[in-house]
Amino acid sequence: MDETDLRLDGNALAGMLADVFGFEMTVEWGGCSGCGAVNQLGALLVYAHGMGAVACCPGCGQYLLRIARGEGRWWLDMRGLAWLQLDEQARMTG
Amino acid sequence: MGRLSWRVATVAEVRQETPRAVSLALDVPDWDGHLPGQHVDVRLTAEDGYQAERAYSIASAPAGERVELTVERLDDGEVSPYLAGELRKGDQLELRGPVGGYFVWEPDRGGPLLLVAGGSGVVPLMAMLRQRAAAGSQVPARLLYSSRTLEDVIYHEELDRLAGAADGLTVTHVLTRAQPPGWTGYARRIDAVMLEEVGWRPGERQLAYVCGPTRLVEVVAGHLVALGHDPARVRTERFGPTGVP
Amino acid sequence: MGGFVSRGFKRRRADGGEAKRLPPGQYAEPGFPVLTAGPTPRVDLAEWRLKVEGLAATPREWTWEEVQDLPRSVFEGDIHCVTRWSKLGTSFAGVSVDTLLEAVEPRPDASHAVAFCYGGYTTNLPLEDLTGGKAWVVWEHEGEPLPAEHGGPARLLVPHLYFWKSAKWVNGLRLLDHDAPGFWESLGYHNHGDPWREERYWGD
Repeated sequence: MDETDLRLDGNALAGMLADVFGFEMTVEWGGCSGCGAVNQLGALLVYAHGMGAVACCPGCGQYLLRIARGEGRWWLDMRGLAWLQLDEQARMTG
Repeated sequence: MGRLSWRVATVAEVRQETPRAVSLALDVPDWDGHLPGQHVDVRLTAEDGYQAERAYSIASAPAGERVELTVERLDDGEVSPYLAGELRKGDQLELRGPVGGYFVWEPDRGGPLLLVAGGSGVVPLMAMLRQRAAAGSQVPARLLYSSRTLEDVIYHEELDRLAGAADGLTVTHVLTRAQPPGWTGYARRIDAVMLEEVGWRPGERQLAYVCGPTRLVEVVAGHLVALGHDPARVRTERFGPTGVP
Repeated sequence: MGGFVSRGFKRRRADGGEAKRLPPGQYAEPGFPVLTAGPTPRVDLAEWRLKVEGLAATPREWTWEEVQDLPRSVFEGDIHCVTRWSKLGTSFAGVSVDTLLEAVEPRPDASHAVAFCYGGYTTNLPLEDLTGGKAWVVWEHEGEPLPAEHGGPARLLVPHLYFWKSAKWVNGLRLLDHDAPGFWESLGYHNHGDPWREERYWGD
């Protein structure tokens, strides 16, 4: 087994991102700060394990999003995203 | 959209689909419905407080407060042997969702629709086909479903029935490990030739949904794009290393 | 979090008699889980290099053949992942980081190091956690070549700290006069990572 088997899509992060953002994030659009490609977060390539997850641009492979979770906190590095669009219609309720 | 909070669902029915796969019918109070293709997060808590969480695709079309999951038992799994082995009618389960708006198909998105499944990847695609049937949709749809053997095919009878309804759905099975005597269907891993034979031509602008073990999904998605299909019309849901297709 | 308990659900593996060897909050795992934060780098052994650079009198790089010729050193013991599994009684073989540092002669003001890796992963350590027989660059696990998914051709091994510090696909160490948080350390994980003090997260 290698990382090919472990690779996932952005939908694998749907629950975690919903927790953090309160939006259904996999349908939201973001721009890659590396190559400029625009994708819905559901289309990103994801590597996730117990420490956290990284979501990569399907075009250039750069990290768009890094997220870690521990003891009731999340840490987010979104430097790879040049921009992120949040649509009111995708807001989740409690 | 959906709700964020964890809810307690009650197991209404446990149904053995194949030797390894079990369907759980859950009653979820105040369930607001879901879109075919979405999943739920399931959380298990041991007496010592230890928790394990996994995502499972919803198998059922939206139907009030009833939500069905189909779980394939992984030999070295932590959660699936519990869900597909221990859980009984009347037990309770914590779940959250629905989540995942990206890998979704509803009849009004049109088609033609190509659904490609590897093993338990058929689960979210079955929700799409069940919704298609419930809505009386005639959107042309083709399911290409790869399993190891005939007894591993989940929802076999129901798929036969849906395909027999003459409403534009065809189901093509692929058996990769062992085939019954007289089998005339595909008996090899899904490849470009098969996708070309089963799918539509690029000019017809098919909407493709591919789900299953990561390797299968990536191979199939790669072939579809190489065959000339628009990458924006190929959606994938990789299940990770869930075993050999 | 309420008091919900799933009837009949148990944690997969119990501590058993190894309790004393386990740092707080860990359980014994007989397997060797693969945790990866990106594509597995494919490194051609002919191109592979191990570099020790930065604040050193004689920075060096070794080819694969050259590093195999260095005095062989074996670690036998336990490793601990911050995700709570510990693998007890395992072994790795390679070269001691002490051997590498002796060859480059760290400057007196070198206090820290960053391990940098094929694929871009980084992790930071104080130099004292890399010296005194506490760290290795290894290419064998339990007698077999280190598999790519576990960091092969070679990884850093610093078993007295949480295993995220044992950087996979190591390309080199850069000696610095300051600390420079790496991949996980800049994303909420503890800068040091001592499992016996449960230094898991920033602020612990």
